[in-house]
Amino acid sequence: MASMQKRLQRELKSIQTEPPPGVSINQNSVGSSLTQWIVDMEGASGTLYEGEKFQLQFKFSSKYPFDSPEVTFIGPNIPIHPHVYSNGHICLSILTEDWSPALSVQSVCLSIVSMLSSCTEKKRPPDNSLYVKTCSKNPKKTKWWYHDEKV
Amino acid sequence: MFDLSLSLIEGNLFLKYNHHHCCLDYHRFTITMPNTEPEEATRENRESNDGSFECNICLDTAKDAVVSMCGHLFCWPCLYQWLETKPQRQVCPVCKALISRDKVTPIYGRGSSRRDPRDTLPPRPPGQRTEPEPHPSTSFPGFGFGDGGFHMSFGIGAFPFGYFSSTIFNFSDNRPAPSPSNPDYLEDALLSKMFFFVAMILLFYLLVA
Repeated sequence: MASMQKRLQRELKSIQTEPPPGVSINQNSVGSSLTQWIVDMEGASGTLYEGEKFQLQFKFSSKYPFDSPEVTFIGPNIPIHPHVYSNGHICLSILTEDWSPALSVQSVCLSIVSMLSSCTEKKRPPDNSLYVKTCSKNPKKTKWWYHDEKV
Repeated sequence: MFDLSLSLIEGNLFLKYNHHHCCLDYHRFTITMPNTEPEEATRENRESNDGSFECNICLDTAKDAVVSMCGHLFCWPCLYQWLETKPQRQVCPVCKALISRDKVTPIYGRGSSRRDPRDTLPPRPPGQRTEPEPHPSTSFPGFGFGDGGFHMSFGIGAFPFGYFSSTIFNFSDNRPAPSPSNPDYLEDALLSKMFFFVAMILLFYLLVA
């Protein structure tokens, strides 16, 4: 537990001093235990999400950084993207099986900004309505199907 | 549905993702960070103090440091915990190269701490060091060809055989060969035949028995 808090303290410091472009930490959201953060994110300019504002919620378990953070979009504006469900869950392999402890809040934010930026058509995932009805509250409990991995 | 792996290697961000329609896409972005350091000295100072020797997992200065074959630095307790987390898929947290307990090298600084190794963890894997190859000419002193002759002898370990270890293969011996006219020659030849005969009998006896 102590090592998890020490690392989160360092990450917090680094995201405050050198935030990735369009990303800022919502100071009020970070409690003393550091287990839950809210990050404000802006759509990158020159992309479909330019000018939009999003909020990402990070939840860290006591096994962080060996265990990935639980990352979801929250708030009134959930980006319309083929890999973002309308309940805020994100289908992104680095958030589950491809997680590595060398990744950080900063690199996850950067990945999500990149994921949004590379989008060419704003649409929900094809199975959105079914998924949203049936999924667990915690996206990490979803057995994500990165189906085309084998192809 | 969306498989994204990201690696940041020397300023190049490699973004790989798979999704429904196009099976595999690679995007490579080059991120140019704005140069915020005004002075070279500041940057050097920063690099020497932070960054360079930080564990890639706990982000603190690496303790009981080990380095992977791919060159990434970790605290051994941190790396050990990661390897235990995913025993079936042991990859470097930074670059996803294969990694294992035996393939990491510990780093010993001069003033390394003498604190107790953690009870719950195995000790760091030992360093691997190979003795240098000994110089060939000193290892087999009798095997040189440079000392004027090629000597070869054989015999059986017990006294009489060792004594008359054959002279048949003794080329370029420096002794003068006895001439046939010399009475020594006959004696020599007789002795030689006799010993040879005895040797054969003993050899035969040994083989049969």
